[in-house]
Amino acid sequence: MKHLFGRTAIIAMLLLSLLVGCAPAEQSSTPEGGDTPAKPELIQVITREEGSGTRSAFVELSGVEQKDASGTKMDHTTVEATTSNSTSVVLATVMQGPAAIGYVSMGSLSDGVKALDVEGVKATAENVQNGSYKLARPFNIATKGEVSAQTEDFIRFILSNQGQVIAEETGYVAIEAQGDYEAAGASGKIVVSGSSSVTPVMEKLKEAYVALNPDVNIEVQQSDSTTGMTNAIDGICDIGMASREVKDSELEKGLDATVIAMDGIAVIVHPENSVPGLTMEQIKDIFVGTITDWNEVK
Amino acid sequence: MQQIRERLFRRLIILCTWASLVAVGLICLFLLLSGLPALMEIGPLRFLLGTEWRPLAGLYGILPMIMGSIWVTAGAMAMGLPVGLLTAVFLARFCPEWLHRILSPMVGLLAAIPSVVYGFFGIAVLVPAVRQIGGHGSSMFTAMLLLAIMILPTVISVSEAALRAVPDSYYEGALALGATHERSVFFTVLPAARSGVLAGVVLGVGRAIGETMAVVMVAGNQPRMPKGLLAGVRTLTANIVLEMGYAVDLHRGALIATGLVLFIFILLLNQLLASITRKEER
Repeated sequence: MKHLFGRTAIIAMLLLSLLVGCAPAEQSSTPEGGDTPAKPELIQVITREEGSGTRSAFVELSGVEQKDASGTKMDHTTVEATTSNSTSVVLATVMQGPAAIGYVSMGSLSDGVKALDVEGVKATAENVQNGSYKLARPFNIATKGEVSAQTEDFIRFILSNQGQVIAEETGYVAIEAQGDYEAAGASGKIVVSGSSSVTPVMEKLKEAYVALNPDVNIEVQQSDSTTGMTNAIDGICDIGMASREVKDSELEKGLDATVIAMDGIAVIVHPENSVPGLTMEQIKDIFVGTITDWNEVK
Repeated sequence: MQQIRERLFRRLIILCTWASLVAVGLICLFLLLSGLPALMEIGPLRFLLGTEWRPLAGLYGILPMIMGSIWVTAGAMAMGLPVGLLTAVFLARFCPEWLHRILSPMVGLLAAIPSVVYGFFGIAVLVPAVRQIGGHGSSMFTAMLLLAIMILPTVISVSEAALRAVPDSYYEGALALGATHERSVFFTVLPAARSGVLAGVVLGVGRAIGETMAVVMVAGNQPRMPKGLLAGVRTLTANIVLEMGYAVDLHRGALIATGLVLFIFILLLNQLLASITRKEER
């Protein structure tokens, strides 16, 4: 009898938990929800994971990253921010979220989201190119001192019309090209190293260049901007890549920096969001968490 | 000739057995060697009980993620277990043969769907649905709901196999004593299959706690203590996969140490499973 009671209790518990499991689903079928905690105006901040290149560029440009009293840079992105580790998830979340705000590289923009104006400037390639769109970062390459003939030739190719078309096709913003490139029969080896954000476009450039100059062997090593600059300083590579400005401390060590393309960061919201644009200050406040309601910026 | 072949195959089988042992050993060794130094540098207590995770500021506390994993797993079990168990009972004892031929492969299919597809299903369907209840949609509850669906095939197939393994004489005996079909199934067959069902539960917990991709996509991943069903949460696995791509030095070590904690969780679970089966055998 005791056993039977115990078993009945177990079954009852199972059924009870089933009911508990179902309860919220029932709730969801009633659309009214007058006293639900979140109203659609509450901003859902979406950020990338700590360490992401897009995130570090974004927080630096927007002022979310501030130096604290001791002079170390602190990323003040609110802990309430939803964290995604890929551009596609950021896009998918914003597409589905009426109150969401996120940021992606301009090259990854898609139709399902709306890119906000920043300081009244539209997020377009032209505005990045002429410098009026503020959320933009340069893709730099750096060399040290005298470079080999083939390296010089490769850089000439990158900056030429052909090279810039490739940068544009890869989704980035081209810079003003310096004429057409003609193969001059270069040969030898070039080692390129640095930023993982620049690597994809560099691989494309390499492919196109090697097709024109079969005798040149280019090796692209992917790491990060700082490693790329250090390698260039130490002479481990011929060309270093950085997805940020080359720092003064690095230039002092003898590096020559050249911008090879620009990348804009678009601030994106749901297409039905009525906010046309934000100021840098508002973007900062939203991502730091001091502005939490869309009504405050409408 | 025959003998040589026999011996050759025995060697081969032993070699295969060793391969999995070596793999487990290497993983243990890797986790310990690369996780422990970071763990010691941060301090085990500060690491396990710290409530702030800000790697770039040198704060490595994974308590929010531990609690997140526990909550999400418990919630998934609370929702998925009753459904899975009752489905298993239905499949094993109530289901007509023709329906079983349709349902059984479908349950198998549920297990075969890649977790990233579950994740996109979560973003596209569950997140907007949960948003109707409140919050932003990417929440602990969404993760629980998605995981509840994902553990179903594990719970169902293991429990069903356990139920089918119960000798028919149990069921027939109960009928002979005057019990109805339902009563016989729920009070005789189900208790007799207890250990198998428990194994299904433990495997389900293992699946839920280890699931990464789908959870990352719907949970919101805020690295702070769980704040309620409709607020976001970050699990241990999410923490690792979110930041592994860019992490260096101590940050990387801390992520591997997170893996170590997760590994210990799973070890304890397996131990639990082993002790359950051992008790049953006795």
